[in-house]
Amino acid sequence: MKTSEPLTEKEITPEFVEKERKRRNLRESLTGYAMISPWLIGFFGLIIGPMIYSFILSFTDYDMLSAPQWTGFSNYVELFTNDPRFIQSLQATFTFVVIAIPLKLAFSLFLALLFNTGRKGSGIFTTIYYVPSIIGGSVAISVVWRQMFGRDGAVNTMLDAWGLDTISFFGNSSAAMSILIILIVWQFGAPMIIFLAGLRQIPDDLYEAASVDGAGMIRKFIKVTIPMLTPIIFFNLVMETINGFMTFTQAFLITGGGPRDSTLFYAVYLYEVAFEFLNMGYASAMAWILLVIIGAFTLLIFKSSTFWVHYD
Amino acid sequence: MRKWKKWAAVSLLTVMAAGCSPGGPDETSDAGADGESSGEGQTSIRFSWWGNDERHDLTQEMLDLFEEEHPDITVEAEFTGWDSYWERLTTQAAGSNLPAVVQMDNSKLTEYISNGLALDLNTMIEEGTINMEDVNDVYQDMLVVDGSTYAISGGSNGLATIYNQDLFEEYDINLEPGYTYEELGEEMARVSEAEGEGFWGYDFVKADYETFRHYARQFDQHFYNEDGTSVGFEAEVLEGFLTTVTTWIDEGVATPYDVTAEVNESGESMVANEEAAMASAASNGLVGVQTLAEADLGLNVMPSASDGEKSGNWVRPSMSFMISSNVSEAKQEAAAELIDFITNNQEANEILRAERGVPIAASVRESLAGQVDPTVQETFEFLEVLEERAGDPEPLPPPGESEVRAAFDRMLESVKYDEMLIEEGIDSFMQEADQILNQ
Repeated sequence: MKTSEPLTEKEITPEFVEKERKRRNLRESLTGYAMISPWLIGFFGLIIGPMIYSFILSFTDYDMLSAPQWTGFSNYVELFTNDPRFIQSLQATFTFVVIAIPLKLAFSLFLALLFNTGRKGSGIFTTIYYVPSIIGGSVAISVVWRQMFGRDGAVNTMLDAWGLDTISFFGNSSAAMSILIILIVWQFGAPMIIFLAGLRQIPDDLYEAASVDGAGMIRKFIKVTIPMLTPIIFFNLVMETINGFMTFTQAFLITGGGPRDSTLFYAVYLYEVAFEFLNMGYASAMAWILLVIIGAFTLLIFKSSTFWVHYD
Repeated sequence: MRKWKKWAAVSLLTVMAAGCSPGGPDETSDAGADGESSGEGQTSIRFSWWGNDERHDLTQEMLDLFEEEHPDITVEAEFTGWDSYWERLTTQAAGSNLPAVVQMDNSKLTEYISNGLALDLNTMIEEGTINMEDVNDVYQDMLVVDGSTYAISGGSNGLATIYNQDLFEEYDINLEPGYTYEELGEEMARVSEAEGEGFWGYDFVKADYETFRHYARQFDQHFYNEDGTSVGFEAEVLEGFLTTVTTWIDEGVATPYDVTAEVNESGESMVANEEAAMASAASNGLVGVQTLAEADLGLNVMPSASDGEKSGNWVRPSMSFMISSNVSEAKQEAAAELIDFITNNQEANEILRAERGVPIAASVRESLAGQVDPTVQETFEFLEVLEERAGDPEPLPPPGESEVRAAFDRMLESVKYDEMLIEEGIDSFMQEADQILNQ
């Protein structure tokens, strides 16, 4: 209000100007916060709030029907000292991540190399090959997968037609794990696209120089492509590892954690504890341990990156 | 200009904050529904159930009829599939916002009772709001805890065996109710041998947990002890059961575990596929399995242990209806009227078509008898057999049952795959069960 009135010269002191600027800045930032408030409210109300709540719950015994009871660290102690299924779920998850993620990255890199020729039509194929990535995590695909590998499914019918022994995919631990790995590897689209973008960034003169020096295809790949691609590999590795640890839908729907808990992924066990056994406190503790594990792995990859990632 | 911006931002914030705040469904919707503000004597209750599309349609049609006959009550339906149902219900329970009428599963009811969420219906039954005069006690036994009735069965079934009638005739197999495991084993061995590879006599259908409960009852033992703090059976009884199961599997009389698991997983039935002659089942399962089968299927009771002392049979609710204790009295009253309507009203049951299980009121069963299809009729008749042969009431399982059951199934899997000896399996399971039940 005051600002609209003409000011006398005496009033426009440096202090006044400074004060006025601060006030404007404050107003500007308040408006800014108000504008992003939809996101802020969501972030605090739907992410930070529940996270704090789950952290508190992890020290309680809570079945959702009665009030939580404070039990201190007993959930955590129980998990590490007296829960063979927890250890089993860690083993299954690690096995899965260690095998599936490198395979997926290698496969997507391989395809990216194939599509990087710039030939006519390679764009269409890139799009087609991206499709599994969009639908692969869906319930529908999981159901199809289960049918395909079922006792009378497409795979066994084919094996039978070729005179081979049929396989009980859901009765055999390693077969069950394999079909989950195949499904995850099949969703190679996202890392493939990123690899493709990375490959296009590599300047041609590097390859030309290598050719002049007499390097062949393989040598060029090892000495030029891979080093130039390390930042992309690094990014994909981090993202896929995080996703790998949280794999749920596929295992839950296709194998249900079986047979004999061999595909009991961490997230599947967590869900079982939370929503089937109604041990919310225990499940919250598990969720926090998962967070720590994922954090540790990400940190490890970040730390190691100084040794193998070449920026520039 | 700036002022305008400020006000816009503030009002936007307020609107959003209001949108985010938990709307206190109890206060807001109840006030209107309780009849204080929306017409006199109007009561609105919520009724939730799980099921498939067929059940949703039938139930809603029944509710329309109910509202027509009770103009002072409106029913708000909440329905989903099985999995999301329990997530939703526990969340509602945590927020003290349970619907007035809740469809319940036997395995979950104890948890709601022990947390004081289920209303004791005895007074309502005595006053006749829920009329139970036409209902034989065996239908309700399981839902009565320490003399209090916490739920009303929405339809009943019993553990049974489903068998291929055509095949039984072909091999001249005659198993009268009361037949023993030994007799069954012999007949099944005969069939599986004659039918050759890819055919097994008996299929346990991953229902070993239920089958064992039936088995233990014959030795006057229950799966859980009275306080629900431990298992209630002796190790020898479980050993006897597991020995029969594994011997049958080893000799090719019963389906190997991986085959059972896969057939189950894909929603098929070995009996319907004509890969097994007989299988464990819930009696109402016949309706579904018959549609998959070409042969004529029949129902029989479960086998008896030859050294058993008592009847293992009991009639159990397929599901039941409880009234939430944290809704107003007017709503509880309206809820009771709805449950009475479902239990006793002929027209309502003609709409519902016994889809939830065999109706518990005798007159309803009689009047429906000519109207339902023959397979459903068979499940009615089977329940009459079971009613006669029912043994002691079976108590509701304690909280934690789902976890114990999962542990039991895992142990069984290991034993069937020969990864564990029977004695080892029993030891480790009993330990695990104690630990779960004492949490």
